[in-house]
Amino acid sequence: MKPTISGSRGIIKWGLALTALGLAAMVIVYVLALVYTPFEVRQGAAQKIFYVHVPAAWSAMMAFTIVGLVSILYLWLRDERLDAFAASSAEVGLVFSVIMLTTGPIWGKPIWGTWWTWDARLTLTLILFLLFLGYMTLRSAIHDPAERARFSAVVGIMGMVLVPFIHLSVYLFRTLHPKPIVLKASAPSLPPVMLRTLLLGFLAASVLYLGFVVLRYGLARHAVAERDEEN
Amino acid sequence: MPENTSYMIAAYVVAAVVYLLYGGSLLTKGLRALRKDR
Amino acid sequence: MSSWLRVAAAVAGKDIVIEVRTKTAILSAVVFAALVLIVFNFARDASLVSTTELAPSVLWITFAFAGMITLNRGFNLEKENAALEGLLLAPVPRSAIYVGKLISNLAFVGMVEAVALPLFVLFFNVPVWGVLPGLLGLMVLATIGFVAVGTVFSAMTVRTRFSELMLPMLLLPFMVPPLIGAVQTTTRLLAGRPLSEMIGWLRILALYDVVFITLCVLIFPAVVDE
Repeated sequence: MKPTISGSRGIIKWGLALTALGLAAMVIVYVLALVYTPFEVRQGAAQKIFYVHVPAAWSAMMAFTIVGLVSILYLWLRDERLDAFAASSAEVGLVFSVIMLTTGPIWGKPIWGTWWTWDARLTLTLILFLLFLGYMTLRSAIHDPAERARFSAVVGIMGMVLVPFIHLSVYLFRTLHPKPIVLKASAPSLPPVMLRTLLLGFLAASVLYLGFVVLRYGLARHAVAERDEEN
Repeated sequence: MPENTSYMIAAYVVAAVVYLLYGGSLLTKGLRALRKDR
Repeated sequence: MSSWLRVAAAVAGKDIVIEVRTKTAILSAVVFAALVLIVFNFARDASLVSTTELAPSVLWITFAFAGMITLNRGFNLEKENAALEGLLLAPVPRSAIYVGKLISNLAFVGMVEAVALPLFVLFFNVPVWGVLPGLLGLMVLATIGFVAVGTVFSAMTVRTRFSELMLPMLLLPFMVPPLIGAVQTTTRLLAGRPLSEMIGWLRILALYDVVFITLCVLIFPAVVDE
């Protein structure tokens, strides 16, 4: 279906609203986490990075899953809108995974004493980042839109199937090489006030993801619509 | 304030910068697109 | 059914014949393997790091990178591409083409591994004789995994500008589970550990192979057809 200027404007408006809402929600989460949530006794201030890192990770995983699912739909229905949506989700996912990949080690250093550990979480973070990067790089290297859409869909689907295997491998590695029990990065049961902040973090990250994707998608459709009008 | 506060600040700042840069660029492009036609 | 086999065999056979004649990929991969082995040997301090600790990683890194070099060339010849396009014009089952390509790629990578392994035994002095059948079986199991995925990806990246860069970039995350499993199993094999300690990894490798070969067969048409 060909995009129209008016149609894409509508999408952009939604995207703007959701993004603004998401950013506002994130500000609230920041204030809540920094000021209104107590410190965790053993881990100190660094534990609060949790409230930023975990929601970002959630959004990155969500973005990735959506790329995979939409890619399947694309190969089935061959609707260019699905490809545009997958591409938007991948770009947004890349952004969230950059946040994951930077806040993760910053959290790890004071808590575990090392910038990086090959545990399930961080390893998956890195793999996800590399998959997103590969997806976006492949797209930029192909100029025919139909071929680009097809190839991206293939990578998206294969990436989605890969993730459980990464989990499995790291899990098996960890059960055979148990790490000495240092400090657990997240308390086994969170006190309600911390849980509340975390849940709000998830909400903010989800709204922000949605806002970013819708806006990005709208902008892409708008650009195509404009180009079509010029021709 | 506990000693690892600087890490907390660093992480919060990095995340905020990424969100604002990306969000800001999208918002600007969106507003520009709306303003452009009609 | 027999025509499917004929197509697969024809695709595989043609590729192998071309490679046997030109020997380009095999040679460059073998040189690469030898280089890696030499460098690793001189890079380590023998008193600090024992060969048995380092050997499995070195072996599989060598196989992985040499494999990628080989895969890259797999779709690269210009005559190759024209021939493929000709084949696609006919209503030939795409799964047969994929399996044919997979077989020829496995043959290439297998040849490289067959040469690299003796070099490895030579340079690292590791006791592989006792566990050779197990090691060979493991090599087949793990190699199938990343070559299956690599065959699909190289079909895509050959059409991009920086294919030598794009293929490793896309393929690397997919090599992680087979490589982890392979290195873990090799370590245990060389240390003479019982099968029970390796069975977990072998299961993951086998599952990976089954899942990804199936997926690749299903998805390959999307790569070659409009």
